[in-house]
Amino acid sequence: MPDEVTLTIDGQSVTVPKGTVVVEAARKIENLIPVFCYHPKMAPVGMCRMCLVKVGTPKVDRGTGKVELDTDGKPVIQMMPRLQTACTTPVSEGMVVVTKDAEVEHAQKGVLEALLTSHPLDCPVCDKGGECPLQNLTMGWGPGQSRFDYSDKVHFQKPIPLGDLIYLDRERCILCARCVRFQDEIAGDPVLGFDNRGRSWMIISKSDPAFDSKFSGNTTDICPVGALTSADFRFKARVWELQPVPTVCNHCPVGCNMTFDMRANEIMRVMPRENDAVNEIWICDRGRFAHHFVASPERLTTPLVRKNGKLQEASWEEALDLVARQLDGIRESAGGKAVGGLAGPSLANEDLFAFQRFFRETLGSPNIDCRPGTALDLPLDDFGAEYGLTSGTDLMQLGKGTVVLVFGADPEEEAPVHLLRIRNIAKRGGTLITINGRATKLDRFAEHTLHYRYGAETEVLAAMLKPLYDAVPPEGKRAALRGFGDLRGVLANASAERAVANAGVDGPTLEKINQALASATNLVIFYGQEALRAGTSVTAGLANILTLARKAGAPNSGLVALVPGANARGALDMGVRPDRGPGYSALKQPGMAAHEMFDAARQGRMKALYIAGLDPVQADPTLAEALKKVDLVVVQELFLTATAQLADVVFPVLSVAEREGTFTNAERRVQRFRQARRPVAPQRPDWQILQSLARQLSAEAVIAASANVSDKSRRQARRAEEQARKRTDWSYASPAEILMDIAASVPLYKHISYASLESALGVWGRKPNEAYYFDGTSYENTGGLGKQVPAGAENGGTLSLQPFNVRTFSQPAERPWKLIATPFLYDDSTLLNGSALLNNRKARPVAALNPADADSLGLKDGDVISIASGRGELRLSVQRTRLAPQGVVLVPLHVQGVPLVTVVEAGVTAVAIRRAEG
Amino acid sequence: MLKGTMAYFKGLKTTAKYLFKKPVTIQYPDVKRPVRERFRGRHELKRFANGLERCIGCSLCAAACPADAIYVVPGQNDPAKPLSPGERHAAVYEINMLRCIFCGYCEDACPTNAIVLEHQYELSFYDRRSSIYTKDMLLVQPEDGYGEVPPVLEQTGRQLNPPAQIDL
Repeated sequence: MPDEVTLTIDGQSVTVPKGTVVVEAARKIENLIPVFCYHPKMAPVGMCRMCLVKVGTPKVDRGTGKVELDTDGKPVIQMMPRLQTACTTPVSEGMVVVTKDAEVEHAQKGVLEALLTSHPLDCPVCDKGGECPLQNLTMGWGPGQSRFDYSDKVHFQKPIPLGDLIYLDRERCILCARCVRFQDEIAGDPVLGFDNRGRSWMIISKSDPAFDSKFSGNTTDICPVGALTSADFRFKARVWELQPVPTVCNHCPVGCNMTFDMRANEIMRVMPRENDAVNEIWICDRGRFAHHFVASPERLTTPLVRKNGKLQEASWEEALDLVARQLDGIRESAGGKAVGGLAGPSLANEDLFAFQRFFRETLGSPNIDCRPGTALDLPLDDFGAEYGLTSGTDLMQLGKGTVVLVFGADPEEEAPVHLLRIRNIAKRGGTLITINGRATKLDRFAEHTLHYRYGAETEVLAAMLKPLYDAVPPEGKRAALRGFGDLRGVLANASAERAVANAGVDGPTLEKINQALASATNLVIFYGQEALRAGTSVTAGLANILTLARKAGAPNSGLVALVPGANARGALDMGVRPDRGPGYSALKQPGMAAHEMFDAARQGRMKALYIAGLDPVQADPTLAEALKKVDLVVVQELFLTATAQLADVVFPVLSVAEREGTFTNAERRVQRFRQARRPVAPQRPDWQILQSLARQLSAEAVIAASANVSDKSRRQARRAEEQARKRTDWSYASPAEILMDIAASVPLYKHISYASLESALGVWGRKPNEAYYFDGTSYENTGGLGKQVPAGAENGGTLSLQPFNVRTFSQPAERPWKLIATPFLYDDSTLLNGSALLNNRKARPVAALNPADADSLGLKDGDVISIASGRGELRLSVQRTRLAPQGVVLVPLHVQGVPLVTVVEAGVTAVAIRRAEG
Repeated sequence: MLKGTMAYFKGLKTTAKYLFKKPVTIQYPDVKRPVRERFRGRHELKRFANGLERCIGCSLCAAACPADAIYVVPGQNDPAKPLSPGERHAAVYEINMLRCIFCGYCEDACPTNAIVLEHQYELSFYDRRSSIYTKDMLLVQPEDGYGEVPPVLEQTGRQLNPPAQIDL
């Protein structure tokens, strides 16, 4: 084949694709050439010279251009005059490589000795000791003895902070530039660089604040020496003492595979676990450093019951008994509909399934929701499941021919590891298109970027839909696409010119984007909180683009909804929502949404509220009034949150580290996390609490059956009651059994079981012992790769176009500004409790204004402004930044001291800004 | 009959012979016999001549221990008041004497000669908990330190260099 090359390495012949470097070719036949600077995820540079090998190529006769043959008829091999670096030498046909002989060995010894002349050999105190490639390679290839006097070694001041999170020990650094290259090539934050030269050559941070990257922790993993160490794991333990327990990150919808490295029942550090389909070998700094909430002393330890107006410690029996009795009483007097339940998107699938079962089946209440019920609630997203990324899609394999459209999302803040993956698709030849209201980091890597005016999202989408719509061949249009006709009227007036005029986008770029969409082989569309907040027409528009581009249900294509919360997709799949049951099944009677429950509570119609893993009062303090009118407020929480403080009964729950469960990520991959830590207090997992309550209460069906005695014979009635009892029995011994129940009752999850999530056979592509020389750190995935559930569109059948409308946003003259709530990775979520290292990175309570706008209002940095909408007013200090588009004020979400809920309205919030007096 | 009586006296003769000899029994615990120089008794954690702890909390002793008797939790030295030379020290150092088999592998593993099996052998306990010797119990007095700190450990602040963060 023309694309493949056969060469001989140490007498063994190997065939590899053209362009492969010798190290990789040797790797294929398990011949480990020692390397320091080479890393399979990054471009080779040949800085460390450790991989020197002898290379020869067949001699070619210059006259004839033919390979010269010796007397035996074999090609004459001409060895290169000097040793070559195997990591930068591409293979060629007939190449001969010698990796083991006296000359190579001499060179390897020499390189190691030279590297060690400036290395302090303080392995006993070094955190890398035990998983250090320099240690390993010195043992394997090193000279054994140093000829170098210790006092002649280069000495630097011991570790200096390279940022808040990373320490640099310059003595230990061998200047392989892996960290610099990671930041440049993979993270896309080129904040590290080299300074000086010769013996004072060193790594420096070029940014302010220092090492300003959300991926900085990964540099400590790939550092082949102990030069970069994490501030979190500094002198915590030796690596060989750690017990890695597979887990899944509980912070954002990416669902990165990680391990909790345990020692003596404490999490010592968090490391990535290799899963090419999710996070490769990277995790973001929030996932890595924000694990301290688990061991926080502020965790709730015992159930609390309100006695004499105060929350007091109580036993589990007492608290459960009280809640069961009161719920029973309320159900009897006011009916199940007077009970509402809110369960957060950070709970496991098992909890959420048990939650909806408890409400719908046991209490007979349709009122459940996965949102906190504030003005900031996002619409429930169905398209991420219906038109989701088709199962089997691996973003790491996508490249040429793939179009990635990122609409109304800032993956860097919402789902950081997706940023790396999207960027890598672009690097492999894919086309990245970002369409946002403001500049995001992803714009830097995008081929086409559009910035629309907030409120005019649908105008842009209409202009994108129009050519796709027109391109659908006339024959069989209607039959193949339901709702095709409905769209005709909506798109009749749509045109690029209109989008340019109304949304302020660049016409030629829009044209190019439309061409790219039309010619895409694979189409992946990411959308985030801004798109979701803009209304269902926007997300429907995106779904329609996918459908009209004939990519709905097609391999390697689909929508990815970045709904906040580690298990936001799971919550929707499990039916923790008022309008749909588990697996998006239709309900006979929809219940109240979260905000309706609070409205009902204000009017005294809601008698009991059960809140698990959500903190509505923190998000909107005015909800406290509504909660006070509810007879029974039960909260299941890790911490005594603002909501828990108002509760009548508080149940302490186990954190993600102390229990088993599964999360479903944005790509709908179900992944399992394990128990890493023994609980130190008598907390219980969420599902167990619900089961205990359910067992104390009779299910609604049982009550109904026993009430029917009169019109049936007694025996029949008893049988009916017995059947109802059996059907509604709660006898889960472990979350695995709940998952079995989920698999049985939710068609989407038919093939999901703990066993199927565990399969990890040979998928991580790394051969045994390779970690030893590439990373020191193994990243080995022993916990399983998880399993993707199919998207709705994959089942075939008729595709339907979603109702889409072009909405124009009319700005009232008295409120000429637009307020946009912006998500930040480091916000004031309770999951960041106790992780003090990240405090400096947290979003500050400021209103970001474009400098031009600030000038027009005469505002300097730090000036306090009043931001008033039709609903309320908000005071914040100003930060001038070019990241804010003109006419827009950006206000951070979920940050303390920013009562956003008092101001925001549905869609875009028009506000008036003036300098605040006093 | 006579033969039996003779045997009786034969036995008493041996007794009588030792009656006037110096006894070999030592009256422990009133009298204690010195142990050999290389006897492996209870561990001590040594210090340098300047009073700093020799132990740098590297846990290599724990790694070498075949009985898993040693538990070390390292900590970071306060540069103003270091406990040991360099950046790292042992915040917790415990040996479970019930587990210890006194093999001396910990001594061999120790890069700073901090742990030494000494001559104390009186190790008995009324409960298992008291068999765990903590750092306070193992550490020698500051005045009993010996030897200079080797240069490899004396690095902190040795050579000041330009800061890593520069304005560009």
